[in-house]
Amino acid sequence: MDKNLLEIKNLTKRFYDSLVVNDLSFKIKGGETFGLLGPNGAGKTTTMRMIMNIILPDEGEILFNGIDRQKTKGLHFGYLPEERGLYPRAKVLDMLVYFGTLNNLSHRKAEVEAIRYLDRLGMIEFTDSRIDHLSKGMQQKIQFIAAFLHDPDVLILDEPFAGLDPINQVVLREILEEYRANKKILLISTHQMEQAERLCDHICLINNARVILDGKMSEIKRKFRENAYYIESDSDLSFLHEIEEISILEENKTAYKFTMIDKEIPVSTFFSRLKGRAKIRKFEIVEPSLHDIFINLIQEKSKV
Amino acid sequence: MRNLLKIACWEFKSRIRAQSFFFNTFVSPIIFTALIALPVFLFQYQPQIQTKLIGVIDLSGENLTSDLQDELNRYFHTDSRSPLYQILNVSPVNVTNYQNSLKELQEIEARRDSISALYNQIKSQRTFLYTNSQSANRDRQLVQSYEKMQLVREERELIEIELQRFKTVLDSVYKREAVKMADTLLISDNLDAYLVFNLDFARTGNVQYHSKNPGDFLEIERFERVLQGIITRHRILNDEIEPSKLRNWFRPIQIKKFQILQEGQKEWNFYIQLYGPLIAVFLLFMAVFSSSGYLFSSILQEKSNKVIEVLLSYASSAQIMGGKILGLGFLGLVQIFIWISITALIVKSGLFTNQEIDYLTLTNAFFFILYFCLGFLFYGAIFITFGSLSTNEYDTQQISQVLRMVAIFPALLSLMVLSDPESMLIRVLSYIPFLSPSFMIMRIPLSGALNKLDIILTIAIMVLSIIIVIIIAGKIFRTATLMQGKKVSISEVWRWLKHN
Repeated sequence: MDKNLLEIKNLTKRFYDSLVVNDLSFKIKGGETFGLLGPNGAGKTTTMRMIMNIILPDEGEILFNGIDRQKTKGLHFGYLPEERGLYPRAKVLDMLVYFGTLNNLSHRKAEVEAIRYLDRLGMIEFTDSRIDHLSKGMQQKIQFIAAFLHDPDVLILDEPFAGLDPINQVVLREILEEYRANKKILLISTHQMEQAERLCDHICLINNARVILDGKMSEIKRKFRENAYYIESDSDLSFLHEIEEISILEENKTAYKFTMIDKEIPVSTFFSRLKGRAKIRKFEIVEPSLHDIFINLIQEKSKV
Repeated sequence: MRNLLKIACWEFKSRIRAQSFFFNTFVSPIIFTALIALPVFLFQYQPQIQTKLIGVIDLSGENLTSDLQDELNRYFHTDSRSPLYQILNVSPVNVTNYQNSLKELQEIEARRDSISALYNQIKSQRTFLYTNSQSANRDRQLVQSYEKMQLVREERELIEIELQRFKTVLDSVYKREAVKMADTLLISDNLDAYLVFNLDFARTGNVQYHSKNPGDFLEIERFERVLQGIITRHRILNDEIEPSKLRNWFRPIQIKKFQILQEGQKEWNFYIQLYGPLIAVFLLFMAVFSSSGYLFSSILQEKSNKVIEVLLSYASSAQIMGGKILGLGFLGLVQIFIWISITALIVKSGLFTNQEIDYLTLTNAFFFILYFCLGFLFYGAIFITFGSLSTNEYDTQQISQVLRMVAIFPALLSLMVLSDPESMLIRVLSYIPFLSPSFMIMRIPLSGALNKLDIILTIAIMVLSIIIVIIIAGKIFRTATLMQGKKVSISEVWRWLKHN
C-alpha cells in the first residue's frame, strides 16, 4: 500500500451561532504520529468527530487518499475517547470481540487479537471478568485494546496516556510504534506536552477554532530555537563571563546557558576561546520545549 | 446491514442474560395474572362445601317454607350437587311462653264454643216454640228465652272480641318467640341466616334478612332473585289466577350464549373471552414497555459512559438505532414466544377445555405477533428518540409514564370492545397509531369475522407512522446522543429536524 494521506481542507463547523471549527486545514501522512494540540474548547474533539464521520462539517472536505471521506467505503477507525467508558456489565472478551466484529473482523480473528493484546498488556487472567469488576487503570487498558484491536486505518486517541502507569505507557508507546510502522494514520490529541514532544512527528496547534501552528516537530523546534547553547562542566565555569562573543542567559556554577551575540560567528569560535580552561562534560544546542512554545503562542494570540 | 445485525445481536445477548429479563418474563406475568384472576376467582369460586341452614319465620301462614326450598334447590348447589340451602321453619310452638298463651287461647275458644252451643240451644228452643203454637206458657217462654238469648249473644260477642284480641297477642308472642329462637340459633351458628315474612309480605314486598354478615352481596343477591319470583307468584295468586297457569308462566328460563362465526357458532364464556384478549393486550404492553425500558437505559448508559462515541465511530447512527430496536424487539418476541409456549402447555395440561379458548388459533397468534412487531417498532423508535434526548433516568421515566398511559388506554375500553368490536368509535380509535396495536389485538379475536379493510388500513397506518417516527428519530438521535448534560429544548429539536 502506498503512503496513506488524510487531508483536512477548509473545515468549518458551526453549532448554532458559535463557530467551533473555522477554516481548518492540515494533512496527516501515514507513518507519522500527528499531534492535534490546543487548549480546552479549541475544537479538537469536534474536528476528530468530523474525521470519524460522527458529525458532518458545514463546509470544507475531508479526503482520504484523495477520495471524499463520505464516499470511502470500508474505512475503519479506532477511537479512544477522552472520557473512558465501557459496558460495565459485559465480560472483557465478549465486549472486545463485539467491537472487533463491528469493524469487520471475523469472530475468531477478533477473539485471537483480543487475547493477544490482553496478554501483551498483562491482563490475560481477566479475560472473563466483568468490566465493572476491574480497576480504573485496567478498564483503560481494555479501552485501548478496543481502539486498535481491529488494526484500524485511522487511529484517533484522545489523551491516551492520562492515568496510565509508566510501564504501561511504555507498552502503549511500543504498540503505537508498530502501528505507525504500517504507514497508517495516527492522530493523537493531548494536553500533555512532554508526551506529545516525545511521541509526535508532526503537530498541529489549534486555538479558537483556527490553526495557529502546523508543521513537523523538528522544523517547529528549529523555528523556535533561540540560538541558545547549554554547557556543563565538573569545574567552575565562571570564567565564561570574560568571553566577549557570548551573552549569558542563565548561570549556575558549573552549568551555563548562553547565545552568541553575533549570530554570524560560528560556535567553533567559542570553543577556541574555551580551549584548555575547563573539562566539558556536556554541550548542547538548547531546543525550546513544546510546552514553552504552546504557552507562548496561546498567550501571544490571546493578547492580539 | 451486518453491523446492524451485530448490534442487534449484542443488545439481545446482553439483555437476555440479565436478571431483569428473567423477572419480566416469568415473575411479573405471574404476579400480574394473579392480580387479575384472584378477585374473579375468589368471588366466583368461593368454596361452597357446606350446606347453609336458612331459617324462615313465616307469619303469613302461606306455607312459604316449601316454596322457598324448591326455588333455592333449583338454582344453587354445592360442589357435590346437593342443595346449597336448607330451609328450616322456625316455629316456637314448643316454647313455654307460647304454649301458655296457646292454652289460654284454647280456654277462650272452649268458652266461646260452649257459649255458642248454649246460644244454638236457645235458638232451637225458640224455633220449637214458634212452630208449636199450642204449648202452654208459650208467650211467657218466648219472652224469657228472648231475654236469655240476648244475654248469651252479648256474651258470645264479647268472647269473640276477646278471642280476636288474644289471637293478635298470640301472633306477636309467636313472632317474638320465633325471633328470639332464630337469634339464638344464629348466634350459636346453627343458622346461617333467617328470613322473616310478615302477614302482608306479598303486598308490601318487604322481607327481613337477618344474618351475622348482611354485607354479603352474593348471598343477598341470590335471595333477592329467588324471593322476587316467590312474591310475584303470591301476588298473582292473590289476584285469583289459576295455579297451573302460574306454574307455566314461571317456568325458569336459561340463556345459552353463542357467538356468530363464519365457520359456525360456538358457545361463549364471558370471562375467558374477555380476559384472553385483555391479557394479550397486557402482555403486549408489558413486552413493549420492558423492552423499551432496556432501550432507554441502554442509550442513557452509552451516553453517559461515552461508549456511544466509540460506537458511532464504528457504525452509523442508523445502524446503531436500527440494531437496538431490532435486538430488543427480538427480545420482546422471545418473551412473547415464551408466554405463548407456557399458555400452550397450560392448555395441553387441560386446565381449560379446548372449546373455551379456541380463539388461540394460528391466525390470531399471527396477528398478535404482527401487531406486536408493529407496536414495538413504533414505540421503540419513539423511546429511542426520547432516550437520546434525555440526560437522566428521571426524564426517561416521565416520558415512559406518559407513553404507558397512552398505550394502556385501549385496555380501559376493553368492555366497549367486547360489546361491539366493530363499533364506529372503536374503529376510529384503532386508526390512531399509538392505540392501533392494542385495539387490533383485542378486536381480531373478539369480532370473530376479520375486518379485512381495517386490518389493511391499520397495518398501512402503522407502517407509515413507523417510517415517519424512524426518520425523525434518526435525525434527532445522532445529534442528541453527542450532547452532554444539557437539557434539550423543543425549539432546538425543531431546528435539528429542519437542518439535518
